[in-house]
Amino acid sequence: MTEQVVKSPIYEREELLTGCQAVAHAVRLADVDVIAAYPIRPYTEVMDTLSKLLADGKFDAEYIIADSEHSQFEIVKHATAIGARCFAGSSGTGWMYGFEAIVVTATDRLPVVAMVGNRALDDPGAFGVEHNDALAVRDLGWLLVWAATAQEAIDTTLIAYRVAEDPSVMMPCAVALDGAFLTHSQHIVKIPSPEAVRSFLPPLNLGTRQLHPDNPITIAPQVNEDWLMEIRRQNFEAAKRSKGVIYKAYKEFNEIFKTNYEQPFFNEFMTDDAEAILIGMGTVAMPAKAAVKRLRKKGKRVGFIGLRWFRPFPTEELRTSLSRFDAVGVVDRDVSYGAPDLCGIVFNEIRSTLYPLKKQPRVVNFIAGLGGREISIEDGVTMYETTLKYTKQDVDVPVTWIGVRE
Amino acid sequence: MAQEALMSSQLSPSESTGSDGFIKRIEINYRGIFQKNLAKKIGGDIVYVATSAKNTAFSNGRYSDAPERNGVPCKYFAFVSNLSEQDLEAECGAKLDIDEADISVVLDDAMVKGVEPWGWHGIRPINEKVRPGGTLLVTSRKKAEDLIKFIGKKPFTYNIAILEGDNSFAGLWVYNDDLTDVRVLAAIAAIDPKVIDPGYLEEYVARKYGDRSVEAVKAAKNFLTIKEVTPDEGIEWPHKVPVLPKWHDFEEGVAVPAVKRGFEIGPRGQSRNLNFRRGTTKSMRPLVRFDLCIKCTLCWAECPDQCFDPTGDGLYDINYEYCTGCGKCAEVCPPKECIVMVDELRFEDDTSPWESHKGDPQKYIKWVEEKKGPERVIHNRVTGTGFNVKLVDKPVPPKVN
Repeated sequence: MTEQVVKSPIYEREELLTGCQAVAHAVRLADVDVIAAYPIRPYTEVMDTLSKLLADGKFDAEYIIADSEHSQFEIVKHATAIGARCFAGSSGTGWMYGFEAIVVTATDRLPVVAMVGNRALDDPGAFGVEHNDALAVRDLGWLLVWAATAQEAIDTTLIAYRVAEDPSVMMPCAVALDGAFLTHSQHIVKIPSPEAVRSFLPPLNLGTRQLHPDNPITIAPQVNEDWLMEIRRQNFEAAKRSKGVIYKAYKEFNEIFKTNYEQPFFNEFMTDDAEAILIGMGTVAMPAKAAVKRLRKKGKRVGFIGLRWFRPFPTEELRTSLSRFDAVGVVDRDVSYGAPDLCGIVFNEIRSTLYPLKKQPRVVNFIAGLGGREISIEDGVTMYETTLKYTKQDVDVPVTWIGVRE
Repeated sequence: MAQEALMSSQLSPSESTGSDGFIKRIEINYRGIFQKNLAKKIGGDIVYVATSAKNTAFSNGRYSDAPERNGVPCKYFAFVSNLSEQDLEAECGAKLDIDEADISVVLDDAMVKGVEPWGWHGIRPINEKVRPGGTLLVTSRKKAEDLIKFIGKKPFTYNIAILEGDNSFAGLWVYNDDLTDVRVLAAIAAIDPKVIDPGYLEEYVARKYGDRSVEAVKAAKNFLTIKEVTPDEGIEWPHKVPVLPKWHDFEEGVAVPAVKRGFEIGPRGQSRNLNFRRGTTKSMRPLVRFDLCIKCTLCWAECPDQCFDPTGDGLYDINYEYCTGCGKCAEVCPPKECIVMVDELRFEDDTSPWESHKGDPQKYIKWVEEKKGPERVIHNRVTGTGFNVKLVDKPVPPKVN
């Protein structure tokens, strides 16, 4: 399937890949040692593609088909502890089934990289995208990032290894892709060359934490009130340090691969003179940008911000950026029942970010696209028009559901 | 005339693209799982050819079941444009379906009877997304006139293009190239060179697939006929799109009322789910010679979709609205020629075969044998390597009790 060979030392070729396949190629290029797999859509195509790449001799790794997501994440946790670079992935309820292992992976500071193909949580069984599955790790010591295009999926997965394994970070990282809209959409993707990836991503080195017969250690023995607070503080500081590491990683990625990730944590679209913007994660960027272009033609000053990193959260950066606008609409593809002002998870993070500002933009919330419901360009226009209304007046009801039958 | 209509449609950019920009939207209707790899390949090849012609493009599938149920109507999409990748993705990405299609490809002609991919979707006309001046491109051995009698009317003029050929079973678990992919690409290039530039197509096919495929591309136009369809052609579409309830109008806790219980002996005697009939899943339907039936009950017992209704005389009627054409009944039926699978497009309604048989057995037998014809088509569904055709010398005569 080699297509359109690019004569370049940094890219091996361009190929038509789904979001899932793009992640799989990043895993191949990261030259992982252990892959633990258990199928659940929309993640499944990642493990399908990896098994094919292995069978075709494109790289070499231990490929273990686990008996469940719980075992899957136990396997990569343990394998990482002995110094193996690992990959696992899941979606929706499968990700939740792995949770006991997912929690301890973070507290043990093991830099697993996992792909989450965002899927609505059961019940009822549904395949479509919702962000609640990945967001469930937000308080656990996982780094959490969204990719919005297939190219971002391959790039972000490589960057995720680099950030997670940085000696000053050592935290697992979840790379989230919107189910169907990104996981199952085929785009021409530039695949980096293995040599260039090697120059970007050094081998995993756990140092004195590596579990080995020559380095006898115990990981996570029982403790009580005498130790735990200090352990939590270590994790807290690592999360704090991760932001600087992310900047450094993107800077080097840009240098090596000639990419243009200006602000790693979010990307801005037509925001320069905007008075109202929408901000959201994942593929909502697509209809939102189309809505921006339509409204710009009518002279409306609107823009869009696509948030990539949710953990660590770009607090100061967003505070600075969002302070330029009169009104900000936050699009949540998630729901938090009974949350402050009955709003979504991203909204409450952003509103809290804006609190210290003397001149705050007005903030409104849209719950949209749950369970894979399409957020149409018209929905985008509706959200912008609502947000624009609040450039001139105070927000009465912060939350609006978009596209629900009511 | 048809070609002129096509040309004019190509030159009218949609509102979103501005005066110089264009977006072409192509959907590929296919049979779940049997043609999945084929449809994905066609979508992918459209993107590759568009890219070599310096356009932007991407492709995606509609998110239905995976693994898809055998035969269920599914879709792939491809988008071709001269806009930037970001602009094309903004206009066409992250969507469940397309708003309109410049070309709707149909890889199994039986889908012209309608498509019902999942519950609550309704049975939709195959040309639902075709835009004014757009084209419904069907691979078929039939003529456009024979297909139009199943297709819903449109309020405007569009085209039906027939690419002569059989339903391809090229893409099951493995992809077994029967040249349908490149033939469809060539047909698209002939219909709308803005989607696929013929020059780039030949160069791409030569590079990727080799001489045999290049020959198929060159020959394809000889197997392509295009007919203009006017607003008075087609049928009044009989199926409504279901209206789903508002959030406060149904039971909480995902408690769903069951299909109302009911059973009576005779046709349509069993209660069935009205919100998902699944009949559009079939390419072939089982025809029954009730006079040859030995009342063994196997068809009724083995049918995975409970389509057989027991009748008072120990026979089993078929409810074709629910038959998915899987062929299991024909496979297990012991008497030769009692149940035979027949091309779905030979039938215009779903009336009860048992009632026809009771009304006039001799007339029914004659009708059945005419519909069956001399050919018996057997699909090698597990391997996906096409099908065999056996010829029947002469029909089994009516059985005299």
